[in-house]
Amino acid sequence: MAEQQSVPDGKHKASPKPVGSPVGNSRSSCSGAATAGSGGLSGGLTQPAGWQSLLSFTILFLAWLAGFSSRLFAVIRFESIIHEFDPWFNYRSTHHLTTNGFYEFLNWFDERAWYPLGRIVGGTVYPGLMVTAGLIHYVLNLLHITVHIRDVCVFLAPIFSGLTSISTFLLTRELWNQGAGLLAACFIAIVPGYISRSVAGSFDNEGIAIFALQFTYYLWVKAVKTGSVFWTIGCCLSYFYMVSAWGGYVFIINLIPLHVFVLLLMQRFSRRVYIAYSTFYIVGLVLSMQIPFVGFQPIRTSEHMAAAGVFALLQAYAFLQYLKDRLTKQEFQTLFFLGVSMAAGVVFLTVIYLTYTGYIAPWSGRFYSLWDTGYAKVHIPIIASVSEHQPTTWVSFFFDLHILVCTFPAGLWFCIKNINDERVFVALYAISAVYFAGVMVRLMLTLTPVVCMLSAIAFSNVFEHYLGDDLKRENPPTEDSSDEDDKRNSGNLYDKAGKVRKHVSEQEKTEEGLGPNIKSIVTMLMLMLLMMFAVHCTWVTSNAYSSPSVVLASYNHDGSRNILDDFREAYYWLRQNTDEHARVMSWWDYGYQIAGMANRTTLVDNNTWNNSHIALVGKAMSSNETAAYQIMRSLDVDYVLIIFGGVIGYSGDDINKFLWMVRIAEGEHPKDIRESDYFTPQGEFRVDKAGSPTLLNCLMYKMSYYRFGEMQLDFRTPPGFDRTRNAEIGNKDIKFKHLEEAFTSEHWLVRIYKVKKPENREALDHKPRLTNTASKQKHLSKKVSKRKRGFIKNKLNLKKGKKLNKKTV
Amino acid sequence: HCFSFFVQMLLSEKVGQLMDWASKRAVIRMNGDKFRRLVKAPPRNYSVVVMFTALQPQRQCVVCKQADEEYQILANSWRYSSAFTNKIFFAAVDFDEGSDVFHMMNMNSAPTFMHFPSKGKPKRADTYDLPVRGFAAEQLARWIADRTDVVIRVIRPPNYAGPLMLGFLLAVIGGLVYLRRNNLDFLYNRNAWAFAALCFVLIMTSGQMWNHIRGPPYAHKNPNTGQVSYIHGSSQAQFVAETHIVLLFNAAVTLGMVLLHEAATSDMEIGKRKIMCVAGIGLVVFFYSWLLSIFKAKYHGYPYSFLLMVL
Repeated sequence: MAEQQSVPDGKHKASPKPVGSPVGNSRSSCSGAATAGSGGLSGGLTQPAGWQSLLSFTILFLAWLAGFSSRLFAVIRFESIIHEFDPWFNYRSTHHLTTNGFYEFLNWFDERAWYPLGRIVGGTVYPGLMVTAGLIHYVLNLLHITVHIRDVCVFLAPIFSGLTSISTFLLTRELWNQGAGLLAACFIAIVPGYISRSVAGSFDNEGIAIFALQFTYYLWVKAVKTGSVFWTIGCCLSYFYMVSAWGGYVFIINLIPLHVFVLLLMQRFSRRVYIAYSTFYIVGLVLSMQIPFVGFQPIRTSEHMAAAGVFALLQAYAFLQYLKDRLTKQEFQTLFFLGVSMAAGVVFLTVIYLTYTGYIAPWSGRFYSLWDTGYAKVHIPIIASVSEHQPTTWVSFFFDLHILVCTFPAGLWFCIKNINDERVFVALYAISAVYFAGVMVRLMLTLTPVVCMLSAIAFSNVFEHYLGDDLKRENPPTEDSSDEDDKRNSGNLYDKAGKVRKHVSEQEKTEEGLGPNIKSIVTMLMLMLLMMFAVHCTWVTSNAYSSPSVVLASYNHDGSRNILDDFREAYYWLRQNTDEHARVMSWWDYGYQIAGMANRTTLVDNNTWNNSHIALVGKAMSSNETAAYQIMRSLDVDYVLIIFGGVIGYSGDDINKFLWMVRIAEGEHPKDIRESDYFTPQGEFRVDKAGSPTLLNCLMYKMSYYRFGEMQLDFRTPPGFDRTRNAEIGNKDIKFKHLEEAFTSEHWLVRIYKVKKPENREALDHKPRLTNTASKQKHLSKKVSKRKRGFIKNKLNLKKGKKLNKKTV
Repeated sequence: HCFSFFVQMLLSEKVGQLMDWASKRAVIRMNGDKFRRLVKAPPRNYSVVVMFTALQPQRQCVVCKQADEEYQILANSWRYSSAFTNKIFFAAVDFDEGSDVFHMMNMNSAPTFMHFPSKGKPKRADTYDLPVRGFAAEQLARWIADRTDVVIRVIRPPNYAGPLMLGFLLAVIGGLVYLRRNNLDFLYNRNAWAFAALCFVLIMTSGQMWNHIRGPPYAHKNPNTGQVSYIHGSSQAQFVAETHIVLLFNAAVTLGMVLLHEAATSDMEIGKRKIMCVAGIGLVVFFYSWLLSIFKAKYHGYPYSFLLMVL
């Protein structure tokens, strides 16, 4: 700390804070009386603060509106419908919640899923989303605004995106200044990385969780800045909401301790940090354990141990700080190093001991695979099979964040150059989130908010200097920021607000503007970049993230549109034409949709909690028909549903997913299923004549291509030409013995087969052997011919000899 | 009776000998004589897995070395497991020690893994399919479990290299800090910290983690034309070279932003500041539009570009 850099003061120029900013204690580096007077855009107005609040309010409102409307593509193009897979389950649970009440929901045992095991829904779900939607529905109905629960579910995520942008604004304002906050709010309102999980109809945990995440972080930063229990309790409540909403709360409970730990390392310990973290850890812990699904995890799993360790360390550190006043310097130094290293060692060893003896569960596979990146591929194929769990290419980064991905390092640079307590936090947030986003595509979602904030800081830094005119350069408000106060008073408790700051004005002499031409060129180019960003975001949202994937659309050459509604067609067929308790087997991707739309019992679904059950279904799909029939009989399967895209060229069909079924089945049944059997000797996966015979005769292949060999799609291709894989199928003569085709949708996208009951099995190939044909037939014929009233089987039939005697006589 | 007694004798002698060797070395080295007597000759109640290999340096078989390491791991996992029995033995025949075995088995490639079951002759599946399954010890263990019902849990000796390197690095850093304990200012050098953070962020956003997990080639050379392409044509994949290019572009845009800020705030004379400013905006705009055009080339159907239309 010897080298105290004079903090670039520019950031205080363009957008001074309103005087009556809600910051209770103006430690905030951006607020304070000194800045308020220094000129700004609204310098000429009588009440600049009022105008600024109005402007901020308008911008935030417009950001909300823009965010909301850009998420409506799917609703306008298709209809108000729930998207994809997981949302269908959430919708079904919400529906259950609103019709049966909260306690029924918590105790809900769903016998329609995971047949024959069932699923305890109340205890295995993050209820935040359902409760939020249910609550909104309840309030609206209370006000006699009658909306269907489906519409609440569809529009929940777009509405929460507005709340997200407001909390991002608040957080960025705490970190930098109001201008950056407004930019960040605008960025996050339209950035594709967040839209991908929050379009209308995407009724998923992430939609509300990002809001909870940002708001928790805002309150945490606030708590660290003020050291007040009030803000900390707010932070805990927000954390509680986050825990109830999404499993990603683990990110918070690791990032906040990391922040505290780094602050300790940087010798930025203060009583504010102590109060904030101690309160947060205890209250947050108790609150998070109230969620049934989380239960005792916060004290029993490794993911949460970092928080506990930091808590212990902080207590030890604070105790030593307390002793500091009572000891000589020499004594203290020895004690300090001894104490801190002892505390750290004891905590570490305790955690290891408890893990070893089994009191603390080791890292779960999903989390472990974040560190050891090759782990999931070897050990947990079911995690590796999900496309969201793949690592991220630079194209995805650019696609989801566009210009922000290039500029946010600049924001990080500014933050670290002008470090203070809360900027330590944002730097750690950025570094950890960018790591996780690199490992898993789906965690791009947690990176997006911090990228928006840091990019906003970078852009607002530039705009502050280039947007205003040169007039301002001449009298820079060079009050030294509270950062330096921080350093000086790092041991001190509270920085006093409104401290008189010295006005260094050496720079004034040498100040000379860059000139209006350069400034306007820079501004214009920057605005063009931002415009490109907005255009990109809209294009991506419209083209990539607004497909409900339940309803597909294809476009002809003239631009007209075909709607492919095969999924719903098939699910409604199931709903209308099958027994209410019929059991439908399908690959787990479609479990939630079948339950939600067809209202039928499924064997496996997207809640992939039971790997062996999924492997059994995979085994049935990849065995030959006879072996599959035995499995299906043992699982009481009535119908089998598959997705087949060969007619329209839909690439997400079951044949393309088939190798994962084989792999997962092989993991549990290595004797019966071998992945290598499904490849050609050259190691290729082919569906044409060269394909491996095992593949060409397995159940999935037969069900997909049954009667497909007779079908000629157009004149250039032979019959049975699969458009998805661009190959003529290898087995055109498919006959079923134990199954029969029940339904095939218009474009063959969904095919449903009925599993025959045993008595309907085909006649034996050979004639049944007849035994005792001779004796029994006679009695029947006797009855008919002689018209006796009745007779007794096997009764001796005596012939009377009377007449005969007469005749002979 | 006499004959069966003799068979028992022979069998117990063979098993005893094999056990004796196996207790010394997990993989039993065999020459032609031993191979014929212990592996090929009939009275057996044990399976033998044999690796045919050529480990002598003059053979220059790199794969053999790697396969041998995996095989040793597998054999040692079995040798020191609690389930160790005389049901299965691991052996190796080196070409230079038993070339007659290679002739006898009609073997012309190394390494080859073969399983000799306790009863009957080896079938087709008893020859390990090396090109398809690879020679990882886990794969070998699966194959063995498949052929013999002996389940071997592969226990790799922990790799001490990583932790050792880390420890060494930490020790060096700690030592440096200790040596310079009177002058610890460099720890507070924000530029260094900011630079490190930026490096990490740029590495991650340019998809190096993808490279680490997927291991793509550095660049693609078209065998027909000899042309080298550094950019992968699809948006689903990338080359290593490509990620380096992207990393540089991202860094250039970042640098441009920082320069713009410095130009407006630094104390330098106005001429230099103007140059900085122009350089900054130039970097930002130029590299951004170049990046956008690369993206456009990769993401088919993307309609927008900015200033740069080529590429």
